[in-house]
Amino acid sequence: MKVTLISIPVQDQEKAVKFYTEILGFIIKKDKPLEGGNRWVALVSPEWQDGPELLLEPGPNHFEPCKVFQDALMGAGIPWTQFNVDNVDAEYDKLTKLGVEFSVKPSKMGTWKYAVFNDTCGNNIELVEEL
Amino acid sequence: MTFYEKEINRINGIIYSNQEQIETVIGVKSYIDNNYENDLNLDLLSRFRFISKYHMLRLFKKHYGLTPRQYLIDKRIEKSKEQLINGMSVTETCFAVGFESLGSFSTLFKTKTGKSPSEFQNEQLSRSKLYSEF
Repeated sequence: MKVTLISIPVQDQEKAVKFYTEILGFIIKKDKPLEGGNRWVALVSPEWQDGPELLLEPGPNHFEPCKVFQDALMGAGIPWTQFNVDNVDAEYDKLTKLGVEFSVKPSKMGTWKYAVFNDTCGNNIELVEEL
Repeated sequence: MTFYEKEINRINGIIYSNQEQIETVIGVKSYIDNNYENDLNLDLLSRFRFISKYHMLRLFKKHYGLTPRQYLIDKRIEKSKEQLINGMSVTETCFAVGFESLGSFSTLFKTKTGKSPSEFQNEQLSRSKLYSEF
């Protein structure tokens, strides 16, 4: 068994594709139509195209408990998903200039530096740098 | 303050209260990052930080979740991928990132990445060729 894909729930796939590619810089690896206007859209990091894919999963629109869970995480400020970066401060500067809203500014915790931003699709995302 | 921030602050106070320990392990990790191509051993690493070998090993594992040896191997494999992508030969890469035997490098590389060093290199090179052709 191999871990090759992680899913992130998004409320609007179109908007999510724009945010994750144009703002965060991911690239589309797979994009195919499913029923009802939904798509199978999987992204990868430009610098790690063999790495795990990130699936933009429209679950909150089709399965109520998924939306309830997502809203509860958002309300509590909890990031369910995290991305590793080389430099949290640099990403923070770059993304704030692009209008991304951070609920936690770059902070240190033990051997980690982290920050949390709003992905505009219903999720808090944590950026993490191992010190 | 969100529930998340409150929890983070609470946990931070419990597991990361000893700042000196944290600086020690960060120092050891950064030493590995900067010297991975050399023959590193635990005695050297702990002497460098003035702590006992086993204490250092425990602290490193506690904070990074893997032993310094495992971290060093991962670092070398990660660096060897960069060298292979840049076109360095498998044998040169093996020694450049600090491995002492081609056999153990190839076996470790295959276990960690799912491909042998030469398979990995061929794939990367043919991919960049494909990009330039289309």
